[in-house]
Amino acid sequence: MDLTLCVGSSCHLKGSPAIIERITALIVEHHLEDKINLSGSFCMEQCTKGSSGVCVQVNGVHHSVTAATIDDFFRQEVLNAL
Amino acid sequence: MNMQHVVECVYKSLNHKGEELCGDKVEVVRTEDSDILILADGLGSGVKANILSTLTSKIIATMMREGAPLEDTMETITSTLPLCSVRHVAYSTFSILQIYHDGRAHLVEFDNPACFCLRGSKLIRPAYIKRTISGKEIRESFFDVQMGDYYVLVSDGVTHAGVGSVLNFGWPWHDIANYLAEEAAKRPSAHRMANLLSTACDELYLHQPGDDTTVAVAKVIPANHLHLLASPPQHKEDDERMVKEFLDGANLTVICGGSSGNMVSRIIGKPLRASLKYLDPSIPPTADLEGIDLVTEGVLTLSRTLEILRKCVTPTGEVQNLELLDAGNGAAQIAKLIVEKCTHLTLYIGQAINPAHQNPDLPFDLSIKCRLLEELAELARKLGRNVQCYYY
Repeated sequence: MDLTLCVGSSCHLKGSPAIIERITALIVEHHLEDKINLSGSFCMEQCTKGSSGVCVQVNGVHHSVTAATIDDFFRQEVLNAL
Repeated sequence: MNMQHVVECVYKSLNHKGEELCGDKVEVVRTEDSDILILADGLGSGVKANILSTLTSKIIATMMREGAPLEDTMETITSTLPLCSVRHVAYSTFSILQIYHDGRAHLVEFDNPACFCLRGSKLIRPAYIKRTISGKEIRESFFDVQMGDYYVLVSDGVTHAGVGSVLNFGWPWHDIANYLAEEAAKRPSAHRMANLLSTACDELYLHQPGDDTTVAVAKVIPANHLHLLASPPQHKEDDERMVKEFLDGANLTVICGGSSGNMVSRIIGKPLRASLKYLDPSIPPTADLEGIDLVTEGVLTLSRTLEILRKCVTPTGEVQNLELLDAGNGAAQIAKLIVEKCTHLTLYIGQAINPAHQNPDLPFDLSIKCRLLEELAELARKLGRNVQCYYY
């Protein structure tokens, strides 16, 4: 599974460092290092959609993720899809 | 020399303890066919020394710029300098190093410690003659420079460093030469070389310099053109032209901004890979793009680059706090390229408005990129870089 996190200016201000840290920890916790290809990207041009979260792309689909929703997101979009 | 060289001329001064003004003065003159580095050391310290050395260096700079012979210049200095009421002499020592664009050099020294000439890690000793002009005995050398040479002019505050405390008789010229030769082997930039020697002196003085202490370094380096692209153009149809001009003739290439990185990636047909590694949690990571030396995020990185440069570059163009350039994050890398690597800086500034940056909910004004780039250009000029800006 390809998981791409935005590290562009806006997403950085919306908290991408914390999201990266949490996602990395969750991947380790669930022993998914071999199944998930985690990478970074600059702006994926979703900013103007008015979301308040960091842009995370899962297999080509964009999601908006915040520190409050990261664990739910991981369960629904990552664990369920694997 | 066949390759076109640039003579980087920088200096660093320590003031006599308790003085606001330095009694040493450095001038750099760029003429049509040469670069001239002048260091004058006025008698005494404080205001009086500062006036003597300023007059001396300015007279030399002005007259040499206009091509006046050395004899006339020396006579002008001798008859212009005010007499010291205590010592009844008008006195400022000086060194003049003139390096012509064809590689010939002319060194004139009056009562300053001899210039340290370093080639590779070796000290070279150009032959000199002594002659008397206007009652002053000067040392004069003619020689040829080579790419990579360092020429270090110093005031006697350097050879007196530590006198009476750490070192009984100050720092002997030959020991300084050995120290510089060892450092030269590591190929430091001119700024780093000047900082190394002046910091060493400051430590020998236990941070209480007993004399004005100045190090002026001329380093002969190849021209190094840094091209920096920031933001895509206002009109999308200019994308290709901007990228082509940005890549043309560059020795070093830097892209500041995610959208700009994506644009160049699309046009040159290579993937852009952003790293997830934060060397500093407050600055977004850099990205890899084949053929480009450095790709960073835009406005947050540039703001930090400017913060670093403001701390490093003093109003006189001296450089301090060089360790800030070594932090490794994207912002420090850009600052380091400007201070230590490039001789020419060309900014390719796109004027597209990024809709994502017009968000009032964000805790930082992202729309200030243009102003940041203007300040960057200003600071680079202060460092002696040849700066040009193109807008798209």
